[in-house]
Amino acid sequence: MNMSFYTQMMRINLKMFLGFGLGSAIYVTLMTLMFPLLNDNMEEFDKMIELFPEPLLRALGLESLSSYGQFISAEYYGLFYLIILGIFSVMSAIQLIARLVDRGSMAYLLSTRVSRTQIIATQILVFVSGLVLIHLMTFAGGYIAAEFLVDIESNIAFDQFFYINFVGFLLFFAVGGYSLLISALFNDERNAFALAGGITFLFYGMDMIGKLVTDIDWIRNFTPFSLYEPGRIANDEVDILMSSIILGSIGVIACVLTLLIFKKRNLPL
Amino acid sequence: MMIEIKDLTQEFSNGKGIFDVTFDVEDGEVFGFLGPNGSGKSTTIRHLMGYMKAQKGYAKIKGLDAWHQQSSARSHLGYLPGEIAFLDGMTGHQFLNMMAGLQGVHDKARRADLIDKLQFDPKESIRKMSKGTKQKVGIVATFMHDPDIYILDEPTSGLDPLMQNLFIDLVMEEKARGKTFLMSSHSFAEIERTCDRAAIIRNGRIVATENIHELQSMQRKAFNVTLTDKKEVASLLESEMKTEKVDELTVKIELQGNYDVFINTLSGYHVKNISADDQSLEEIFMDYYSKEEVQS
Ligand SMILES: Nc1ncnc2c1ncn2[C@@H]1O[C@H](COP(=O)(O)OP(=O)(O)O)[C@@H](O)[C@H]1O
Ligand SMILES: [Mg+2]
Repeated sequence: MNMSFYTQMMRINLKMFLGFGLGSAIYVTLMTLMFPLLNDNMEEFDKMIELFPEPLLRALGLESLSSYGQFISAEYYGLFYLIILGIFSVMSAIQLIARLVDRGSMAYLLSTRVSRTQIIATQILVFVSGLVLIHLMTFAGGYIAAEFLVDIESNIAFDQFFYINFVGFLLFFAVGGYSLLISALFNDERNAFALAGGITFLFYGMDMIGKLVTDIDWIRNFTPFSLYEPGRIANDEVDILMSSIILGSIGVIACVLTLLIFKKRNLPL
Repeated sequence: MMIEIKDLTQEFSNGKGIFDVTFDVEDGEVFGFLGPNGSGKSTTIRHLMGYMKAQKGYAKIKGLDAWHQQSSARSHLGYLPGEIAFLDGMTGHQFLNMMAGLQGVHDKARRADLIDKLQFDPKESIRKMSKGTKQKVGIVATFMHDPDIYILDEPTSGLDPLMQNLFIDLVMEEKARGKTFLMSSHSFAEIERTCDRAAIIRNGRIVATENIHELQSMQRKAFNVTLTDKKEVASLLESEMKTEKVDELTVKIELQGNYDVFINTLSGYHVKNISADDQSLEEIFMDYYSKEEVQS
């Protein structure tokens, strides 16, 4: 860790962090504002939903929308959130290491007494800071909208809303973790981006297909995305602690490997 | 010994690289590292910076292994990369602040002094700077923490002649303060003004490590001498110097230390024009090789 480097990297990346955070927060806020509308027309909506095949509803997390948690999971955390945060995690992980090696600016960062491990540890911290910031903004968006802008009585459970964000944060800590690892392995930014993006897309697809086709639902055991089920978190149906531990461990192990690998490799700077 | 490189070898998968590179740079010395493009200068320097692990041999900075003790070794260095690549979205000031933070040295006065000398606006965004100005920012980052040893990879390429002179002044000032330099270049003319000694590298191997005066005397100089009439040209071609007819009135004379003979001979002629024809590095090599072959 190097404070002055951390500050500069945060300054450089802040615009991107705030951009993703703001986009995510605005989306959650708008959806929250729409919740009362749906709440008043629940019967009609349920009828409409019955028209869709069940696996599709399951895949999209649309099985039940009676509580705020279920609603917001279906409308945001089950799909758009995964795409937005997936893009963020892969993109920033590649920018923080592989891009600097590819473009040669890593030569400057590694021209002083600061070690490789310190530089990479700082970059990991920058990524985690960005991820925390985005989730704080998203949570605040939903919370403030629900608390002050709409008039709903009982069915917004903030515990669940918090867990949906918290486990989501850990999911993308894991995704960012393996993306950082890939980022530390490659000399070419585009190759690193293609591989990390490809793997993330594959993991996401495996989770989707496992939900759609019940015959092969074992496939979900091999993707971290299956450990994040916002709809079921809203229903108190999942072991949050277990998913959190597994996702957190994937992230931590990937970050440790990132540090070890970057320390040992030849750099074409 | 400030820099010690011994049997340093790095063979890339394409067969290129550096092989058994060996040389030392002493305290207070300005050492030139001379070689054509692609000869292995940057690869050697990358080992000194701890970016690559030697397959064989070692590189040391003040006795510290450049790979195994890379951060302590680097703490003595000021490094100017061959191809400068900055981080996106920073002003000159922000970049220099960040570098000062990494270097752990905040000598505001020295930095201001350098910026003043090189004359650029550090508040400008680096992305908008011209190539020369970027190079200046890089030079300030290299010099501002007052390191003991400077490693400069082709420092003057990309600088205009005025800036080159300024840069050479800067190097001479630091040399007077007892600092040590390793400076790579593909041009002999660039090195001969500043260096005490130089190593010449070719195809990844060191072919000579010599005192700079030794190298200078090795360098052949050619002059194109234009005379006024054809009879004089014929008689000049008969002289004891190495001559070659270029056109009707012009003779190319190659010199290697025998400047007196050149002056004395020409004093008997009516000379219309003389132009110097500097020898390229490749030609110096060719000379060096032919000399070696004669000796062996
Ligand atoms: N990472 C690498 N992989 C393969 N070949 C390389 C690599 N780095 C350098 N080379 C090759 O090694 C030779 C020396 O390169 P370099 O040290 O950059 O030369 P110089 O700095 O003297 O111009 C060149 O032929 C170059 O193409
Ligand atoms: Mg080079």
